[in-house]
Amino acid sequence: MEEKILEILEEHCEEALDYDGDNMMEDGVIDSFTVINVVSDLEEEFDIEIDAKYVVAENFRNKEAIIALVQKLLEE
Amino acid sequence: MRQETFEGLKTTFPMALTIEKEKGAESRVSTNETFQKIVILGYGKVTGEVLQYVYDRKKEYGYEMEFIEHEIHSFSITEKICAERGIPFHRITDKKELTASLDRITDKTLIVSASNNFLFPASLVEKAHITIVNFHNALLPDYPGRNAPTWAIYRGEKTTGITWHYVTAGVDEGSIIIQKQCEITDDMKAYELTEKLMDLAAEAFRECFGRILEESVQAREQGFDPGRRMYRSREVPADGHFSLTDQPEAIYCLLRSVDYGKNDLFPLVRTRIDGREAEITRYRRIPTDRRKEGEGLLYLPLGADSLLKLKYRFL
Repeated sequence: MEEKILEILEEHCEEALDYDGDNMMEDGVIDSFTVINVVSDLEEEFDIEIDAKYVVAENFRNKEAIIALVQKLLEE
Repeated sequence: MRQETFEGLKTTFPMALTIEKEKGAESRVSTNETFQKIVILGYGKVTGEVLQYVYDRKKEYGYEMEFIEHEIHSFSITEKICAERGIPFHRITDKKELTASLDRITDKTLIVSASNNFLFPASLVEKAHITIVNFHNALLPDYPGRNAPTWAIYRGEKTTGITWHYVTAGVDEGSIIIQKQCEITDDMKAYELTEKLMDLAAEAFRECFGRILEESVQAREQGFDPGRRMYRSREVPADGHFSLTDQPEAIYCLLRSVDYGKNDLFPLVRTRIDGREAEITRYRRIPTDRRKEGEGLLYLPLGADSLLKLKYRFL
């Protein structure tokens, strides 16, 4: 799963893979449009629905947060 | 007309219709003073770019600047930009309060409405010491009003663009400062077009900002038909509904036109399947050989070698 998520991130925002901070959005690594693309691909890849309430900066602060979000949704 | 190549779109387009003419007699009167203050209003990517650029030119022109956040978005970075640069940041979500705040401005001021849905009242627009410029995400006089990228995609336009214009009492009626054009590609979704338009708007702003400040813009009146259609926020293409007997290309067009990701600008598109109302939760063009059957999935032929994959749920 992690590998697939990282592949998706790499496709839309390669910088996110090397980012080791705590707020990709504020640090200019990722923007809201990239998030939309990442969400769309995650939904398609894992056949999950990522509700709008989860599409917040907190869940996209770094790659670990994105992996944790997908993990949580897969377990629901 | 210069030519500009869009990376990613891999096509060449006529660009920068920098249409310039003397500002109309009805335009605001120059007071022969420089702008003392710049107020930026908006949200999103283009607002961040405008904020940064106005800040970078501050010393050169000697104005004060401040930012007003009227609509709050979850991924906004404007507050951070302001904090890092010492730009006064105000959050005013109430329309009346915002009007009152702008009404209190007494200095000669330029208001930059970067990506903003607040309608400036005539009483403010008509003040001689206030100049307001606005970014509109279409080539005015076409597609005035709300959600222009949606309507451009839905109508099957091959090109669209952006306009920076002076603000008058009428919605999207003011004279044009600068326009830039771009292509709408076959699979482009509303959010992708919006991003493209915001990039273009930022580029155009950087090109015309100096002339706006120096009041040397050769603006062009729009010359629109007074009966032109004004697109309202509550309007949804095809009322957000399609029939499975519609052309798949038209269905795909509708889906793309209202796709702003998780933004709830529009409700999910609906259709009837086996006599029951259903909403489309996901869609995608896929190669024919990637078809996989599953619950809540529907495929429509889309062109010679692709399918429109629809994921739906019954209501």
